[in-house]
Amino acid sequence: MMAKKIKAIISKLGLDSHERGAKLVAAALRDAGMEVIYLGSFQTPEGVVNTAIQEDADIIGISCHCGEHLTLLPILVDIIKTKKIDNIPVIAGGVIPKENISDLKKMGVKEIFGYGTTMSEVVKCVQTNCNQV
Amino acid sequence: MEKKVTVQGYRETVKRTKTWSGIDLKQLYTPEDIKDFDYNKDLNDSGQYPFARGIYPNMYRGKLWTRRQPWGFGTPEDSNKQMKYLISRGNTGLMVFRDQPTMHGIDSDHPLARGEVGVSGVPLASVADMEALMDGIPLESVSATLLCASVVSPVILAQYIVCARKRGLDLSQLRGTISNDPIMSNVCYSKEVNPPELGVKIWGDIVEYCAKNMLKWHAAYVSSCYNMRDYGLDAPQEIAFGLKIAATYFDNCLKRGMDIDDLAQRMSFYCNTGIDLFEEVAKFRAMRRMWAKMLRYEYKAKKPQSWQFRFAVQCSGHSLVPQQPLNNIARTSFETLAAVLGGAQSIFTTTYVEPICLPTEEAQRNALSIQGIIAHETGVAAVVDPLGGSYYVESLTNKMEEKATEVMSKIDELGGFVAALKKGWVQQQIDRGNERYQKEIEDGERLIAGVNYMTIPPEEDKAPPGGILTIPPETEKRQIERIKKLKANRDIEKVKACVKKLYEVVEKGDNINLMPYIIDAVEAKSTVEEIMGTIRNASGLTWDAWDIRKSPF
Repeated sequence: MMAKKIKAIISKLGLDSHERGAKLVAAALRDAGMEVIYLGSFQTPEGVVNTAIQEDADIIGISCHCGEHLTLLPILVDIIKTKKIDNIPVIAGGVIPKENISDLKKMGVKEIFGYGTTMSEVVKCVQTNCNQV
Repeated sequence: MEKKVTVQGYRETVKRTKTWSGIDLKQLYTPEDIKDFDYNKDLNDSGQYPFARGIYPNMYRGKLWTRRQPWGFGTPEDSNKQMKYLISRGNTGLMVFRDQPTMHGIDSDHPLARGEVGVSGVPLASVADMEALMDGIPLESVSATLLCASVVSPVILAQYIVCARKRGLDLSQLRGTISNDPIMSNVCYSKEVNPPELGVKIWGDIVEYCAKNMLKWHAAYVSSCYNMRDYGLDAPQEIAFGLKIAATYFDNCLKRGMDIDDLAQRMSFYCNTGIDLFEEVAKFRAMRRMWAKMLRYEYKAKKPQSWQFRFAVQCSGHSLVPQQPLNNIARTSFETLAAVLGGAQSIFTTTYVEPICLPTEEAQRNALSIQGIIAHETGVAAVVDPLGGSYYVESLTNKMEEKATEVMSKIDELGGFVAALKKGWVQQQIDRGNERYQKEIEDGERLIAGVNYMTIPPEEDKAPPGGILTIPPETEKRQIERIKKLKANRDIEKVKACVKKLYEVVEKGDNINLMPYIIDAVEAKSTVEEIMGTIRNASGLTWDAWDIRKSPF
């Protein structure tokens, strides 16, 4: 029997527009057969979570380049906890200093990808977190 | 496809025999490769048309390039302190980054500004912020570059003008640059904030105002080249997109009855330099030659100054790697060298922490030293265009021109840059470039130390010297308080009158220059959002680009 198609939300938070990484990830997940809802820049944490709920998404991927991992990403993780939907895993990538990774993981971010990540690593992580490996 | 490349040992050979943009290279270049070469026509001496070798006869013997490391984060007071620090460490020009809310035309207290105030630039919501930023800095004797290439540029320039006027300075004596490139901002930042029609109108207003009032100011600073290149274009595309965007602005302004020499002689570009040394040098040389031809023959500019391609350079942020961050010092050194060999007027050496965090003091100091070492120790600045006449470099310069010309013809076929943009072609070129780059890394065709070559386990990778920069946490709170205070303590009737006047002239239409009205509004302490929102509303657009807040007037 075929596994259910994974539905992933790929988004940025706030005003930063470094979309290079987010778009690559979105394309790679699509190539791997997943359904990707690409939200791009200018999203609020509340907006991303609401879309995830409405779309019944399996995973949320957030790309951070200008410090949003310290400001907006924690807000998003908080909302997910408050709404008790932490069955939707959150992963993040982009320019995130190593020094911040353990704090983010403690907070509940499942995986953090830095520069030099291959797309196959991302695909594998998404599949693992959506219980499809 | 998780190919990590291993070093082949004693028999290791050159892996890639193409330039970074994909031009196949021969193993040896000979006189055969430039057999139709005509010195006077193709190169000529520096300072002579077509300026391929440099725009001034003596280049760096006359004046070294400007060392222009940028700053902008935290509150205006924080940034003011840091700019003074950079000057004390050898920065010869100021460069200020605005934060994301400012660039998108919203105030620090807008809902979408949350978490972004003072993060990747300094908030410049009102003239009070500009005054705090420039406090104690002698505007009459510095050259300041204000980076805000979006449709918000005129407001930032107006803040600077009001600040200078209050000090009793003569505007015609001010030196500096306002980045003015709303088409780039449409492609790279936000389509909704930067509609192309509003963008080209505003571009013309700034240039026209400065041509009359601020003769020493670079009002037409096109930053497309750097930004779009770092978003995914290659070197010949950087030339083609940059020149075609400049042409778009020209065409619009000529229709308004402006003079090509007024437009072109204060024009300058913000270019990118990657790590492929010879390709980058060839790119700069080709770009100078193409610009000269375009202005002289296509646009019939009469003043030789209009034919001179003036450019600032930033080392490509995208070329830098977070693993083993000190390796980035080697990368940016080669990139800075390429800019110098290519004849740049001003250089921003990206710091080694770029892919990790915002630049720390230590990293900034190092970047300035790299420029100092190239200027005074390597000896490369003593002779103009030292690579001129090389069979390889001349042949590659020709190749760059040929490939860029092809891309420009394609843009013409599509109906010009704005049409190409609206058809999605521009974005497609950027996305394709990215995907190609990523694939070449994953396939091991491109070797990059710390990515797919000479890597170390992450736990062995040390934090960069100088540590990580973090934003003072109170920034957003302090900034929002400042705006509240400003709004409570200004003459609201005066603000309303200025805003009403601005609304009327925008609504009336095209050829009225908005600059004087924007300056009046800034002087009355209107904020960035109040001014941009008014311009947007009067143009039939929502107050902000996301329709979150409405006009308070």
